Amino acid sequence: MNEIDIIRAVIEEGYQISPQAVELIKLSNSPENLLKYILSTIDDCVFVIEPEHVDLKSFEASTTFSRVTSGAPPGTVSGKVSGKISTPALDSASEPVSDSGYESSSEPSVEPDIVSAVEVPDSNPEIEPEILSSQGSNSDFDSDPVYDSASDLVHDSVHDSVHDSVHDSVHDSVHDSVHDTVSDPVNNSIHDSIHDSIHDTVHNFLPNPVSPSVSPKSIKKQASSFFGTTGPSSAFKNDLRMNSLFSNQKNSFSSSSRDEGIRYIPGRNPVTVLSDITGHSTCVGEYMQFVQYFRDRYSRLSEILRGRMNARPIESLKRRSFRRGSDGNTEELSIIGMVSDISTTTNGHKILSLEDSTGSFSVLIRNSDKELFELASRLLLDEIVGVTGSVTNDGNLMLATKLLQPDVPNSVQRRTGSHGKAVLISDVHVGSSQFLEDSWLDFLDFLKGESDSEEMREIAAQVRYLVVAGDLVDGIGIYPDQEMELDIPDVYEQYRKAAEYIREVPEQIHVIISPGNHDAVRQAEPQPALPARICADFPENVTFVGNPALVDLDGVQILIYHGRSIDDLVASVPGVSYQEPAGAVLEMLKRRHLAPTYGSRVSISPEKKDYFIIDPVPDIIHTGHVHTLGVQRYKNVLLVNSGTWQGQTEFQKRVNLMPMPARVPVVDLANFDVKILAFD
Amino acid sequence: MGETIASKEMHEYFDGLEARLKEAIEIANRARAQGGDPKPTVEIPLAKDLADRVENLIGVQGVAAKIRELETRMSREEAALEIGKQVAEGVVGNFPTKKDAVEAAIRVSMATLTEGVVAAPIEGIDKVDLGKNDDGSQYIRIFYSGPIRSAGGTAQALSVLVGDYVRRGIGIDRYKPREEEVERYVEEILLYKRVASLQYTPSEDEIRLIVRNCPVCIDGDPTEEAEVEGHRDLERIGTNRVRGGMCLVLAEGLALKAPKVKKHVNKLKMDGWDWLETLIGGAKSGGSAEDDQKSKIKPKDKYIRDLIAGRPVFSHPSRPGGFRLRYGRSRNTSFASAGINPASMVLLDDFITNGTQLKVERPGKAAAMSAVDSIEGPTVRLFSGDLVRIDNIKEAYEVRPQVEAIIDIGEILINYGDFLENNHPLMPSPYVFEWWQYDYQAACPEKIPEEKLKNPSSALALRLAEEYNVPLHPKFTYLWHDINRNEFEALRKFVVENGTFLIGEGILKLPLAASFEDGIKPVLEKLLVLHRVKEGETLIEEALPFVLCLGLDNSLEEKASMPETDDMVEAAGVLSGFKVYPRAPSRIGARMGRPEKSDLRKMSPAAQVLFPISNCGGITRNLVSASDYTSCMNGKIGEIEVELGLRECPACGKETYFWRCECGEFTNPKLSCPRCKIDVRGAETCPKCGRKPTSVANVKLDFRSIYKKAFENVGEREKMDLIKGVKRLMNGQMTPEPLEKGILRAKHNVYIFKDGTVRYDMSDIPLTHIRADELGITAAKLRELGYREDIYGKTLERDDQVVCLKVQDLVISYDGAKYILRTAQYVDDLLVKYYKVEPYYNAETIQDLVGVLLIGLAPHTSAGVLGRLIGFTKASVGYAHPFFHASKRRNCDGDEDCIMLLMDGILNFSRAYLPDKRGGKMDAPLVLTTRIDPKEVDKEAHNIDVSARYPLEFYRATQEIKNPTELEGIMDLISSRLGTPEQYEHFMFTHNTSDIAAGPLKSSYKTLGSMIEKMEAQLSLANKIRAVDAPDVAERVLKSHFLPDLIGNLRSFSRQRMRCIKCGEKFRRPPLTGACPKCGGNVVLTVHEGAVRKYLEISKEIGERYGVSSYTRQRIELLDYDIRSLFENHKVKQMGLSDFMSGSAR
Repeated sequence: MNEIDIIRAVIEEGYQISPQAVELIKLSNSPENLLKYILSTIDDCVFVIEPEHVDLKSFEASTTFSRVTSGAPPGTVSGKVSGKISTPALDSASEPVSDSGYESSSEPSVEPDIVSAVEVPDSNPEIEPEILSSQGSNSDFDSDPVYDSASDLVHDSVHDSVHDSVHDSVHDSVHDSVHDTVSDPVNNSIHDSIHDSIHDTVHNFLPNPVSPSVSPKSIKKQASSFFGTTGPSSAFKNDLRMNSLFSNQKNSFSSSSRDEGIRYIPGRNPVTVLSDITGHSTCVGEYMQFVQYFRDRYSRLSEILRGRMNARPIESLKRRSFRRGSDGNTEELSIIGMVSDISTTTNGHKILSLEDSTGSFSVLIRNSDKELFELASRLLLDEIVGVTGSVTNDGNLMLATKLLQPDVPNSVQRRTGSHGKAVLISDVHVGSSQFLEDSWLDFLDFLKGESDSEEMREIAAQVRYLVVAGDLVDGIGIYPDQEMELDIPDVYEQYRKAAEYIREVPEQIHVIISPGNHDAVRQAEPQPALPARICADFPENVTFVGNPALVDLDGVQILIYHGRSIDDLVASVPGVSYQEPAGAVLEMLKRRHLAPTYGSRVSISPEKKDYFIIDPVPDIIHTGHVHTLGVQRYKNVLLVNSGTWQGQTEFQKRVNLMPMPARVPVVDLANFDVKILAFD
Repeated sequence: MGETIASKEMHEYFDGLEARLKEAIEIANRARAQGGDPKPTVEIPLAKDLADRVENLIGVQGVAAKIRELETRMSREEAALEIGKQVAEGVVGNFPTKKDAVEAAIRVSMATLTEGVVAAPIEGIDKVDLGKNDDGSQYIRIFYSGPIRSAGGTAQALSVLVGDYVRRGIGIDRYKPREEEVERYVEEILLYKRVASLQYTPSEDEIRLIVRNCPVCIDGDPTEEAEVEGHRDLERIGTNRVRGGMCLVLAEGLALKAPKVKKHVNKLKMDGWDWLETLIGGAKSGGSAEDDQKSKIKPKDKYIRDLIAGRPVFSHPSRPGGFRLRYGRSRNTSFASAGINPASMVLLDDFITNGTQLKVERPGKAAAMSAVDSIEGPTVRLFSGDLVRIDNIKEAYEVRPQVEAIIDIGEILINYGDFLENNHPLMPSPYVFEWWQYDYQAACPEKIPEEKLKNPSSALALRLAEEYNVPLHPKFTYLWHDINRNEFEALRKFVVENGTFLIGEGILKLPLAASFEDGIKPVLEKLLVLHRVKEGETLIEEALPFVLCLGLDNSLEEKASMPETDDMVEAAGVLSGFKVYPRAPSRIGARMGRPEKSDLRKMSPAAQVLFPISNCGGITRNLVSASDYTSCMNGKIGEIEVELGLRECPACGKETYFWRCECGEFTNPKLSCPRCKIDVRGAETCPKCGRKPTSVANVKLDFRSIYKKAFENVGEREKMDLIKGVKRLMNGQMTPEPLEKGILRAKHNVYIFKDGTVRYDMSDIPLTHIRADELGITAAKLRELGYREDIYGKTLERDDQVVCLKVQDLVISYDGAKYILRTAQYVDDLLVKYYKVEPYYNAETIQDLVGVLLIGLAPHTSAGVLGRLIGFTKASVGYAHPFFHASKRRNCDGDEDCIMLLMDGILNFSRAYLPDKRGGKMDAPLVLTTRIDPKEVDKEAHNIDVSARYPLEFYRATQEIKNPTELEGIMDLISSRLGTPEQYEHFMFTHNTSDIAAGPLKSSYKTLGSMIEKMEAQLSLANKIRAVDAPDVAERVLKSHFLPDLIGNLRSFSRQRMRCIKCGEKFRRPPLTGACPKCGGNVVLTVHEGAVRKYLEISKEIGERYGVSSYTRQRIELLDYDIRSLFENHKVKQMGLSDFMSGSAR
């Protein structure tokens, strides 16, 4: 392993490395393993790997340790994993796009609709989660450590995307089982700390952790004893390959790296936060972070496409000579790239500039090919597309014949088996002088079951969740001279008022609040949840999440995003308008990305992971921001843009936008029917 | 336009200038004939007159003759409108369609309005079209584009008026906008304000008012990338992008210049423009009599709305303690520049100096400042408690460290002409000496020397008041209107109970401690009753008039009872029995605009020769390193690859890149089609595909040998470190300058502008009279230059005699003179070493430069004006006659423009160097105006008053807040002198100044270092000045500068572009490879954390220290949180910083 290889490997993981550290690694007996070890154990917040990060002692320890414990239970592992993956049930019943990692291993109580190897049946929604979890814990106790060891194997041997997902599965399963064993009243902070400690143990390879007094920690002990497992079992490896192959075929393999904790908030109406930036932002504002952010987008979305086309790296196109064969036909090739530029030639053709991590290439889309051209004119900058076509003689241009977007596979099935209703709202704008308080109070009355009509009261009785997709308050300083349009000019007062309102929501309804561009969090997306100082005013039944956030509502996955990027989509995709905002969400879904275009209206924080990627495909995508109502369905995904509680503002008057206030979509979690309730 | 009407002396002056010009051109022609330049002759044609310029500019036959004819009968604006109408009607010119005629009409009209000087009529109006109203009638659409900016607001606004005038003539209906179109304008203009910038942004309602009522559709080409969000795809608006030209015309034209448009509408008696009245708002002129009674001048806060950090506020709108208006003109004020006492400059912490622009409350938007020491300076309270007025600069420097507070910042001298020009109602004049003198002369037969009258003793003032009923002298008139009845009564009571009046000395003693307790000292300060504090007592000298005004006698006993009035001026009059007039009824708010400028012009990056060297010269574009450049290990030394125009010798057929072949023949560009790659042989378009051919090609140039040869040619030794070239040429045929010029420029350390000339920039300040001793020259020298008499008609003998400045004579800063000297030496070197002819200037010191000819040229124009250097000033400004500034289409509200040496211009300027893009021809001397005809200069200059004294009627009229146009008849204005020899001579001024350059040398805005230092200085000054509300300043700066900056940078961080540090390539987003795909260089961010955080700490601190509103403080708090959240790794801080934990703790 020479210097360049080391540096490259490091950069690919999104780190930089100092020359001294390179030297140190090179001097090691097995630089390759050492480097892998370093990369797998290094803290996320490190950017430049310095010599002090090269912990030779632990590395030695880990190798010695692994030698000792090698050959323990891999057989069982492989059997189990392979069994799971090849289960045909997965094919049909579970989400093809779902993270094979956490879903295949997750708890019935959390993911009731996942078919696992042991054929845990779809959870019965009637059964209380508490009961379910206690059942689950028994069965899972044995399997958890097994996964852990599996993850470690993967660390050393397979492609890191695979590693990540499997690694995640470890987390999730460990984690899940933890709160399964912990009885309900145990609050989350304990739960978190447990999670963290497990995390730590896993990474530190402590052979003999201090025995904890809390019962779940025994799991950790168990887990750690399997950790050093090396001696990759060939069967296991094969299975993993199968796994990835299998997933590719189904276009659903996900490589999401999910090193943040999943939060589970138990209760009668439990919530699991599956993906959320809160507390995990790693941005410190360096160039490489921007690169890493886009690389993550490219690698994860191109992986989805890769299953559907046999694409090659762009660099390889340049080295080849593309002479026509004797029959005069040129070979068709495919590439997958991020759109870095779109231009129109003088003759009206379109030229795309596609980029992958090896280079960039120009693709010509002729306007004679109507269908293709139509598709191309809807392309957005920075989305990921696959293109098939032939390369011109000079090797500089590809003439496209086919364009492929990541899209949602047709085979996606909706999760079933939940019950009750979720109420989706956004853009409340408490504090604005245009805040429609009367309508809002009517709405609260409805939630309290105090509506005049019997029908409404019936619906109210079934409501389990209230989801707020951003802009709970009007905020301050969002636009110039905003103070002229505020009834409450103090942002904390606004939140106190909002909290007062939320307190009126019956406590059995679980409220999920995600921030928007008017909220008191950073403007750059992904936005973390509201600060603790504000959250403190809200009642117990509120869960704060970031923006975007993927949340599981007792078996139904909902992706909450405020919808800043809708402005971009309206401006650049023909036919997408503010009047039908769900159309914009549909465009996001086709691209499997919530905010494809960089540098326009969406401010981003370059995180290690692209939180905007829509993967897995949720059951519901809930957006807001544009103050208009829209509901659409696309391939079994329900797209809802909820309206607002604010009348027309001066700004909206100026840009000719008519808001749709006080309309509330209510989703039936059992069959995904949507009812729109009006409160004006 | 016919003969210049001038006296014999002036004729001699002009003839002398022209003779010297002719001589210089001959020398230049001889030099250029050697073939060292793209053309063998001088390329700056001399302009004859306006009419010719217009005809040539637009290309409509017969326009010149018609203009000359019309100008004999009417003013130029009227003529401009009339010629437009005639062109549209087909009286002049011949056009195929109505549309073409209308288009030409508007262009001709606009060119006439702008004196045929600027490029706006051609480049600023893209086209004129006819549209259809919903009722089926037609309307005019004028498509404006970016360069319309160069026309200036007034001409922009008038072009709309022309459109209306023209359409009426040929029976086209008015524009009837649809409601969605109106809203589109609103959105678009506000968007333009965000993406570009507007000097003035009209309110939404103002925009609606204008669009709904403007009879012509103001349209335009898209100029910005930004698109509107709502109001898209409107049927009658062709683009969703922002139309910059339209925004400019509507906002900076119609909205901002509404009063001026109104003036013309009234003159032409056009209907349908009544809505301008609403737009002008506050300044209603034609109200009824009772309206006038009530019409008070209201404070205007427009000037203070966008506060910039580091540029202090000197006075809040119309606040007591702010600048006190004084009417009059000094020899260095008028024409949008105002005078203040140099002591004010010093005591306002040196922020203001000569040439500093102030944004003022009224009459205009901005004014440049000049030192006038014959008006009153500031009144300050010292730490000792003394209240003193400081009228001279020496004293100002002495007391500055002891100043506790600035109670009053002094007078500001504004001439009547500026009110007239801005069509601003005359504000009530304070009771000043000039006015008092009229009252005195009317009532008193005694002859008292003027010196005594100006600064009378209290006894004299009282005697005149008592014996002749002359109003109380201004010196003893206090600011009674600034206190209320309670304060007045408290003061009176206090003086009666605690005061001691020493009759002999005339001193009133008040106990200090008690006066503090009873709040009497602040009242004395408000009244500007000067006093000293000594041994626990406040001493007021010459206090008898004050005592009398309080209604007391000299034993401090009440001799009259308080009258029933709330007007304290009246009360003082009744109590004393004298006529007492308001001392400071009109206050003028002001803040600093931009600092004065006097600096050499450098392009960015700076260049010394227009020779392309691509990236071969490193980031400094150094020709020296380019000559040693090797592209690879075994590449040829000094061979560089650059873009140049291919040229061909017509004689020997050789290809070259230069304008001259080795055989001596001038070469022609070798044009070929960029697509078909065929030689088009001089055709206008490619015969095959119709594209525009070009001669530009990427060539491998043996630069080293060219470089060596050039050194040889000029006989210089190759010992230079740095000769700055350019990366790439901007001109169409890629014509480079000869390298020799660069070598000589580097030798003399001068820099060039895009057209090959060396320039020096200075703030414009008007000057109508000079004294030899303040210009660094002698009376003898002045006589040599053709000056004969001083203003009183006496023969010029002494250095301190005041003489009237001739219209084309210039006074420049010493720094500028030094640069011009270097340029002169460079030009001489060039003549001798490159052109091999005799040197021209032979200048050793700047004194040798007195009398040389210069060219003055303003940005956005294309016509230079011939000038003559006559002296130097230590102020960092360029002084010239207002006509000279006006002929460049500048006024003096803080504008700056450049001068260049005549010989440099005519030798080195070539059109071939000018960038081939829209606006490329601006700011280049395409023609040279040789003689200033006051009639042909910007009409603004006609509104300058030049009398030695304003008439009494004037002062009286101001009390009624009359419109200045009502007084045009009685004021001695330039406009009334036009067409007579007096238009050039015998100007006077009302207030003298002993030194035009008095005051600090540099504004402290320029000497203070960081923005934070400036901000500190700004706020510490705000704390000192009574007329300034410091918390408000802090809040405004935060709101209009720091917070938008923070928000903007935060936003641009998250949407930023990346840049390659090696080749400079910009990327919309980072390349996935990480490195630059072009050159493999390192790519970096363009916005860093530091840029985002820059103002955060200071904002927080200011927010706390000045107690700004909680709204603003919360905004800062949220931004702080936002920035931390973005730039801090939450994973690191997670355990420690609970802030970043979400509600998950539950």
